Amino acid sequence: MQDTVLIVGSGPSGLSAAAQVAGAGYKVVMVEKEEVLGGAPILSGYAKLVPSGEWAKDAIGRMVKRVEDDKAVTIHKGTRVTKLDGEPGNFTAKLSNNKQVKAGAVVLATGFTHFDSVNKPEWGFGTFPDVLTSTQMEQMVASGKIACPSDGRVPERVAILLCVGSRDRQIGREWCSKICCTVSANLAIEIKEMSPETDVFIYYMDIRTFGLYEDRFYWKSQEEFKTKFVKARIAEVTASGDGRLLVKGEDTLVKRPIVIPFDMVVHAIGMDPNQDNPEISKVFGVELEKHGFLQKGEQYTNTCGTSRPGVYSCGAAYGPETIDDSIAQGAAAGGRAVMDLTALVRKAG
Amino acid sequence: MAIHEKSLIEPERLLHHDELVVDGVDVSGHWNTMITPRTLTDYDDDFEAKIQAIPGGENVHRCWQCGSCTNSCTMYAQNVQFNPRYWIYAVRLGLKEEIIKDKDIVWQCVSCNKCTNICPKDVRPEGVMKALAHWMEEEGITEKTPSTIFDEEFTEQIYARGRIEDSHVLMGFYKKTGQSMFQNWLQVFGLRLARHLPVSLGLKFGRNVLMKPRTKSWGRTGEVLQQYVREQKEAAHG
Repeated sequence: MQDTVLIVGSGPSGLSAAAQVAGAGYKVVMVEKEEVLGGAPILSGYAKLVPSGEWAKDAIGRMVKRVEDDKAVTIHKGTRVTKLDGEPGNFTAKLSNNKQVKAGAVVLATGFTHFDSVNKPEWGFGTFPDVLTSTQMEQMVASGKIACPSDGRVPERVAILLCVGSRDRQIGREWCSKICCTVSANLAIEIKEMSPETDVFIYYMDIRTFGLYEDRFYWKSQEEFKTKFVKARIAEVTASGDGRLLVKGEDTLVKRPIVIPFDMVVHAIGMDPNQDNPEISKVFGVELEKHGFLQKGEQYTNTCGTSRPGVYSCGAAYGPETIDDSIAQGAAAGGRAVMDLTALVRKAG
Repeated sequence: MAIHEKSLIEPERLLHHDELVVDGVDVSGHWNTMITPRTLTDYDDDFEAKIQAIPGGENVHRCWQCGSCTNSCTMYAQNVQFNPRYWIYAVRLGLKEEIIKDKDIVWQCVSCNKCTNICPKDVRPEGVMKALAHWMEEEGITEKTPSTIFDEEFTEQIYARGRIEDSHVLMGFYKKTGQSMFQNWLQVFGLRLARHLPVSLGLKFGRNVLMKPRTKSWGRTGEVLQQYVREQKEAAHG
């Protein structure tokens, strides 16, 4: 059993952890609650990924294939872990398919849940068909045609609202979801590429296209694709009466109220803690931090750890994370699990 | 309720009728004072491109509103209403009315180019100020500047004759700008010229003033030149 690592979740971080563990000569049991592997990028139908520009189904597809083709990996789809007993080097997990898995370590690559825009009813999602979330917009881009869902017309103007479900004490989301600024700038580029007559406006509080995303996405969208950035937190989205939407707010740079007509409004939705986290916390005996993400073991010497020894985590389970960093953290968590198992074996002599 | 403190509101937004009857009710006097809303209800999507077509305005779309230009501005230090950052934002969103409100100060840019040197995105704000001043002049929002009038007089003569006649340029300029020909300096200049100019040159001078000669073999060059300039302008301004 000390030669097996149980990996829960098959998104970018879980797939990366699995490849790391298998590559080190250990066995992997992967448990995925959905019927397909790949996590959010596949399940939500993302278009081109930031920053590679590669289609999600190709990029993540390669990661899935690498794991599926590996004989050291056993995969349980449509399955959950219902119980975890034991200690480092000797865990027993019960699965919802009534099977039992013996493993020396567990990696929780359980990810996040997209913010549900219905929780911000004033921004019109669920009320007006032309108000979409960024994941729906990703799907529209992947489908190859930019059109208003209400009547199929090509939008003259699209507004992207940032920080929907992020940085908002009103709804208990006190974190920055980190990726939405860059993803929105990328979406603005994709919209303009596919529909040159459409003007894209991004309504922001701050722009947080950190690191190398600054010029590759923020500057590029502004300088090459004429995206307009408007400093305003929107108060309300309503109907104009002639089939368009009205975006209301205060332009804080002009210091005046705005009521601007748009054809489509896109919510740049944030990353919530996985909605199953309370259950995950109970089943695996791990603590959650104050926002509801998984608590790290120790910030500097056990970065892949949780509050329970032998149980590791990575990626968006810890908090909003990019795909690239989730993959890096998955590899780190897989490596750490293997390292700790090796130490246990050596100690036992 | 009647509005008593009106000093806080721009005068053009106050509506007031000395005598007004609404549905048979007399609401004459300060009773009927109303304020029009401050809300911006649309963007002019084509305006940014219009300013970008004017020399100096090319990079306006790069601005991310850091405020370095206003911060470094010589004129802003004199007058906080002089705010390049704000006008650049208004250009980007097509808030023309916001710029027109400041038509009497936009031209005050002294072209010290501190903004251009400090701008992290290479917007060249000084160029944008120039482009804005040109746009307002072209649209008739502000009056033509004396230098523009001079240029026009000069160019018209070139088109017609292939050369200029100094005295005609001067006369045309003073006439169009509503100034007297009897300028003190001009009188002194004329008298001295008359006193010291060799007779032969004076005769040639006088003949040119009266005959308005064209440059040799000028032919249709003026027409062609005029056509070319018009085409170039149209190409640049769409």
